[in-house]
Amino acid sequence: MGSLFGFTFGEIAAIIIFFVGVYGVVARRNIVKSVISFGVMEMGVILFFLSSGEGSLKAPILSDTSEIAGIADPIPQALMITAIVIGVGVTAVALTMFINLYHKFGTTNWEKAREARDKK
Amino acid sequence: MSYILYLLILLPILFGIIIFLAPKKLKVALGLFGQVVHFGLSIYLFLLCRQGEAVTISLGGWNPPVGIMLIGDEISCVLIILTSLLFLSFIIYNAHRHYVDRLFFMLFMTLQGLLTGIFLVDDLFSIFVLIEVSTMLVSLLIMFKRDSRSMYDGLIYLLINTFSMTFFLFGLALLYRQLGTFSITYITQIIGDIENVRPLYLPYAMIMTSACLKAAIMPLFSWLPKAHGTPSAPSVVSAVLSGLYVKGGIYLFIRLSSAFSIIDSSTFFFVCGAITTVVGFMFAIAQKDIKMILSYHTVSQLGLIMLAVNMNSDLALWGGVYHIVSHAIFKSVLFLCAGVIVEEYSTRDVYKIRGLFKRMPLVSIACIFAILGITGAPLFNGSISKYLIVHASGNIGMQILFFFLNLGTVLSFVKFFTIFKKDKEAKRVKVPLNRQIVLIVLGLLCLLGGIFGGFAVNFLFGVDVHIEASEYLNKSFVYLATLAVAFVMYISGVTKTKPFSSIRALDLGFNEIALTLPVFFCVLLAYLIFI
Repeated sequence: MGSLFGFTFGEIAAIIIFFVGVYGVVARRNIVKSVISFGVMEMGVILFFLSSGEGSLKAPILSDTSEIAGIADPIPQALMITAIVIGVGVTAVALTMFINLYHKFGTTNWEKAREARDKK
Repeated sequence: MSYILYLLILLPILFGIIIFLAPKKLKVALGLFGQVVHFGLSIYLFLLCRQGEAVTISLGGWNPPVGIMLIGDEISCVLIILTSLLFLSFIIYNAHRHYVDRLFFMLFMTLQGLLTGIFLVDDLFSIFVLIEVSTMLVSLLIMFKRDSRSMYDGLIYLLINTFSMTFFLFGLALLYRQLGTFSITYITQIIGDIENVRPLYLPYAMIMTSACLKAAIMPLFSWLPKAHGTPSAPSVVSAVLSGLYVKGGIYLFIRLSSAFSIIDSSTFFFVCGAITTVVGFMFAIAQKDIKMILSYHTVSQLGLIMLAVNMNSDLALWGGVYHIVSHAIFKSVLFLCAGVIVEEYSTRDVYKIRGLFKRMPLVSIACIFAILGITGAPLFNGSISKYLIVHASGNIGMQILFFFLNLGTVLSFVKFFTIFKKDKEAKRVKVPLNRQIVLIVLGLLCLLGGIFGGFAVNFLFGVDVHIEASEYLNKSFVYLATLAVAFVMYISGVTKTKPFSSIRALDLGFNEIALTLPVFFCVLLAYLIFI
């Protein structure tokens, strides 16, 4: 595996994806796009966890890892399943709230929603 | 006996589910029963903890660095008692309300379990999970009355906090890559052996940024007044958020900064805390909505706590922790009083509310006690924590800074005091008995926490603090001087001048609030690398 600045390529890709998501959250005014950007950020984090655990040779469940080559650390993998489930939960709640907001204000734009909120 | 830690987390959640499934008539009785049991258990845990060692248990028998451990130590025991006491009071306070249905009970008590979990668990990933789930619950509770304003506020709350927790998770990924563990105690043990600290800066900055957002530090606080002060959120939810839930962020901050003791950033956070205090009370003075005043006030007090825990002094740290406890009590009283007031007057404008004392004397007494507590009046609990913080600081520059900070707090509450002004048409109003009892008991706790202040700190945290009578008396005169200056400033109309009214108009949208997070992260990282 190649590496750059001490990070593997998978990790570099993960960092780029994460900050693309950050850009989406900060710069997009559309509520649905904000929720999608969260998904993108989350994918970045998951990719980072999985690629940093790959071939790490420090699988903590086994006491002797000398005989097995290229094993992946199981802990990040287990944790990422939890993180994915939580991500699904947050997205579901956020979209449900958004649907309610849309029915009340009739807009997908943060600014217009704020103006409509202040009028009430 | 360490199984009690499991019980403390699971019991409220179990009771919440039972209430949801049980017949409607039983909900209040079951809720009260669950709370009383939880309160008893939390006191038992506290007594166990005071006998010496911290109570610990490893989930599934796996020890750190791999497994997850629950730890009940001095600070977390006290915070759990506090959680239990306040949730018990809130359930009594709201027992008769129509919107408090079985679903509300379930969400509310699940939140209690999660909050207890945040205080107990030692594993950073579990903290992430607990905070993420509780964020969802809180946003549902904020918009429980399904009003369109709270819809917007709840959505902002959910998304901003998720945004910060994604940063947290990314920080954890980087941290795991460096250290191979999530356990805070294990990190504390091995951090001393690390030779090259620089690779830790990036994960540290990411994790701390999100802890600071949870604790509502200076540029990252804009979500808090929206969530805590939103008009239609039930007053108990505002009280839980302002009194307890933000303390989770501060508690996380204290634990993390003691674990990463090798990275010194206390000056940075000290300055952030001071700025937060100033900005918080500036906004509070500018507002006229009473819930907004109270929630900006929370920001200002959080800044004070942040400042105290970053003073590199044990006394100030315990002062800060005691302020967490005091603030939880008086801020809950104030939010609950605000709930009663808003229901009675049907307005939240502080200038339109008059003659409170004649209408509801008992509620007013509790409210006045809480105001005296929060401004640090002598004999009330706020004075003890502020005394400890000021005492630890020592030099004269800090004394002046604290005088100025407290002046802002007092000034914002002089305005609040106008609600007690005389009103000829006022008549006695009947406040439900359960509400009066809760308010009076919590109000009295503010007084008791002050009179027995030194003893309380000693008893709760096992720390020996000495309150010197002469210095305390001195502080009391300083308080009276502050009060006089604030009163003169209020009369002269400083609070109605232009800078304040332009502050009130300032309202950040979602993208701006989201932008503050990466900016804060970059500043913190730059500070760590270059200074």
